[in-house]
Amino acid sequence: MTIGFAIAFAVLTGLAVIGVARFLQQRQDYENATARSYQREIVARNRLAEERHPAAARDTIVSQQHRRQALRDEISSETRDTALLVGAGLIAGLTGAALLFTGLISSMRRPLEDLVEASGQLAGGDLDARVKVGGLSETATLGGAFNEMAEELQRRAGERDQLDRMKDEFVLTASHELRSPLTSVQGFAELLLLEREKLGPKQAETVEVILDNTRHLVRLLNDLLDLARSDAGRLTIRPEPTDAASLIEDAVRTMRAQIDARGQELRLEIEADLPRIEADRDRIRQVLVNLLTNANEYCPEGAGIEVKARRANAEVEIDVIDDGPGIPEQQLEHIFERFTRGDAGETQRVGGTGLGLAISKSLIELHGGTIEADSAPGRGSTFRVRLPADPVPERARAGAEAS
Amino acid sequence: MARILVADDSETILLLLRTRLEIEGHEVETAADGQEVVEKVSAAAPPDVLLLDAMMPRKSGIDALRELRAAGIDTPALIVSAHTDGGNDEDHADLAISAYITKPIDFDQLFKKIAELTR
Repeated sequence: MTIGFAIAFAVLTGLAVIGVARFLQQRQDYENATARSYQREIVARNRLAEERHPAAARDTIVSQQHRRQALRDEISSETRDTALLVGAGLIAGLTGAALLFTGLISSMRRPLEDLVEASGQLAGGDLDARVKVGGLSETATLGGAFNEMAEELQRRAGERDQLDRMKDEFVLTASHELRSPLTSVQGFAELLLLEREKLGPKQAETVEVILDNTRHLVRLLNDLLDLARSDAGRLTIRPEPTDAASLIEDAVRTMRAQIDARGQELRLEIEADLPRIEADRDRIRQVLVNLLTNANEYCPEGAGIEVKARRANAEVEIDVIDDGPGIPEQQLEHIFERFTRGDAGETQRVGGTGLGLAISKSLIELHGGTIEADSAPGRGSTFRVRLPADPVPERARAGAEAS
Repeated sequence: MARILVADDSETILLLLRTRLEIEGHEVETAADGQEVVEKVSAAAPPDVLLLDAMMPRKSGIDALRELRAAGIDTPALIVSAHTDGGNDEDHADLAISAYITKPIDFDQLFKKIAELTR
């Protein structure tokens, strides 16, 4: 289509140029003929003045005057035709140019718009997004390159998914296979400690180290398993209407001894009439114990830890607050990512796996809730869990307040 | 206290379970797989509790239990599993499994369960 316009445009421009050139030639011819006619009239007028053949001279003068009139009529009609021709040529040319331009733009615009749309889809994760290759050769090349890129992306995504599945499968199998030997190690170490009195104090301590590390290994294994399940979309919860207050108290009770052991002060502040939550009791307890373990291990001895729970609109908000060293901003950003842990200096002492918060986040999100961290160095840390309150209203219960 | 049939394909785990259970005062018989379980359990004198590993070669604990149930033996059963998600409730609904015990074994909990079942 564009080429058609270009040819028409060129032909019209050519015609206009030819028309103007012909007009200029005719104009020249007209001036020459008029000049000759004047010369003849002048010659005739001289003859008339000298009274040589006066009748013939008068005829010549009249005929030359008529001839020039005829020439003038002819050239003015030519001028009008040429002006019309040039005008028409100009209009046609301009129209052609405009059409050509529009054509060019639209033949670029549609493929470009397609590209923009497909890029958006691709960026949004729809790897099936492709463009129709066409239009100008440049846009066609661009479209082809885009499709190749999308193809490659899709291929790599497929490979990555397969690797992910293999990884998940591996973690599940490894975790399963490691459990039997760990059962033996832990079981026999416990067996040794049953007869503690027969062991020397040094030996009992040694066996306790074995047990501690075995338990840590089991915890790591459980965390890895949870993460692999979460990645594979197989982390499941069994929620049921649960008394939030007793759940929180339960988690606090689990951690009480460890917190006391570090001389830390734990305060519990649970609002009266806290609504029930739809929760997998074990899993929410796991999250709260994880938050309390972090506070316990990352805060110095004698630090203050606070657990607050309240109703906030249709949610139950649980805060775990400590007045410990706080978390630097660049660490806070990644705090819920796996294997993110506190300073290396700190982690020498801290026994975590670096997976707890990542799993906590997955678990809370499975409950339809949110978890967020607020902290700054020297200002302590606050971890806030929000869980949807059970929509079924419940008779007011006696509020549980403990210290 | 109680007569317990313990089945696991690992000799080490069998030794561990036998030792701990005997210290608690239980009478322990062992089996290396599900086939042995089926052979050793007679309807005339069934044990008080079955403690079966879920996955064993030849015949799994689950399959052995299925056969015993079909033979009308309703001895309470505890299933030991390396899976932490407690097995498949729907699949095992007809097997009257009293509880799933996860590896590594929490012995205090195991003793408590056995006490409940033999009370």
